Amino acid sequence: MTCDSLRKLIPLYYYGELTPEEEDLLEEHLHECAACERERERLRLLAAALDRRQQEIPPLLLEDCRDGLMAAIAGGITHPAAKPAKGPWKLFLEAMGATLSGFQRYRQPVGALALIAIGFFAARFTGTNPNAATSQPASPAGEVFATVRNVEPDSAGRVRIAFDETRRRVVSGNMEDQNIQKLLLAAAHEENPAVRVESVGLLRSRADSGEVRDALLNAVAHDPNAGVRLKALEGLKPLTGDAEVRNALAKVLLVDDNPAVRMQVVDLLVARRDDSVVGVLQNLVQKENNSGVRLKCEKALKDMNASIGTF
Amino acid sequence: MAQGAAGAAGARLSPQVDALIRAAQRGDQDAFEQLVRAYDQSVLRLAMNLLRSPEDARDVYQEAFLRVYRNLHAFRFDCSFHTWLYRIVTNICLDQLRKRKVRKEEPAVVETSDGPIDRMESFEEDAAEADPERSMWNRQLKQRIEGALEDLTPRERMVFELRHYQGLRLRNIGEMLGTSEEAAKNCLFRATQKMRSVLGDFV
Ligand SMILES: [Zn+2]
Repeated sequence: MTCDSLRKLIPLYYYGELTPEEEDLLEEHLHECAACERERERLRLLAAALDRRQQEIPPLLLEDCRDGLMAAIAGGITHPAAKPAKGPWKLFLEAMGATLSGFQRYRQPVGALALIAIGFFAARFTGTNPNAATSQPASPAGEVFATVRNVEPDSAGRVRIAFDETRRRVVSGNMEDQNIQKLLLAAAHEENPAVRVESVGLLRSRADSGEVRDALLNAVAHDPNAGVRLKALEGLKPLTGDAEVRNALAKVLLVDDNPAVRMQVVDLLVARRDDSVVGVLQNLVQKENNSGVRLKCEKALKDMNASIGTF
Repeated sequence: MAQGAAGAAGARLSPQVDALIRAAQRGDQDAFEQLVRAYDQSVLRLAMNLLRSPEDARDVYQEAFLRVYRNLHAFRFDCSFHTWLYRIVTNICLDQLRKRKVRKEEPAVVETSDGPIDRMESFEEDAAEADPERSMWNRQLKQRIEGALEDLTPRERMVFELRHYQGLRLRNIGEMLGTSEEAAKNCLFRATQKMRSVLGDFV
């Protein structure tokens, strides 16, 4: 077979969808044909770039979808066009729009998110689960807007979270409490970096929950404070085998402006070897301007018996 | 390679899922809700990735699970629940993609030019500005990829999505889309060829 016809098989090879015979044929050829091997490398880079394009589910959208669905079913509304008036996602978008028209800074929408998230959870707090956490008397019906002021663990392994709505509230509970977890998740977006560091630090130990994992990923990808990002990375350590986590980390590696963060990400990625890491690291080596990070990458590639540059 | 459906694929053979389905078929609302929660993240991710609009993804979610709710009594366990669910979901998404192909002006990237989501993306790029060369390269690559994906037919786009991002096997994808493994393979082949050609010597 010619190079041309064999080369066409490479994408299917990448996806493990060739017949065993085709696979043997191609592998043999890749071994001795530098041009086709180079094509394989390109496709690997393309695949890595496609991985980075994967959309994250916006915060609260899942919650909003679930609520909308259950409301539609409970209300006997079986036509999908009928939606509940305004879910948290809608409110979030509106708040984002309002905030963004006034400010152009990166941090502002993150702050706005916390406002809405807390408002939403606080409203549910007293309504659905009165025993889960102790708090002031029930809030008036309707939308409540609040801001997290402080998050602190105590010696008994519990957590105290203070947040303002019309007045400040203090809620205590342990980390198993779902309401506490929700408040912490929201606090991870709070504008005050000290609150974020403390919240992300506490959430670290709960990375096995999908929601917490998403919050940690969000912090790693979007938090403007490198200290918060590093804390969140620590929490992702046990999850380096998760394909989504790996994809997100690979993306962070290429865009994060802090070398300490990039170093930590390299460590997490190479903890578990897979082929896409090689592509990501090779890509990084080409662009990396910090010599410490570059050395780390080169060493990791050497350890994996991969070449340092492909083009 | 993304293996996003790992959770759902793992649940496919689980006796707990079977039990949930049977309970939901008997009208147990809690069981139905649990069933939704076992699969809805991968459904939402699929819709978000294909349509790139939270509003549209939300519509797909709502319509898909309402159809599941209304038709669950007809599920006979003759394929996995995941496959059955994805037949519904991919149908709805394909309809959306086809509508967009007709309304050619719709950009595949983000829903509005001045909506908050778009702004979020530009914020992301602000953060990358510390290294202009890197962010420039990333941006150009991203643009080319968007262009390539837009050139795919809805069906090619769907097969590619299910294989690359959801990590499903072609045989299973064929089953979902009501076609053969061979036809799904041809779709994937065409999709990757098109993307490769748009990319040229860029990478
Ligand atoms: Zn060759």
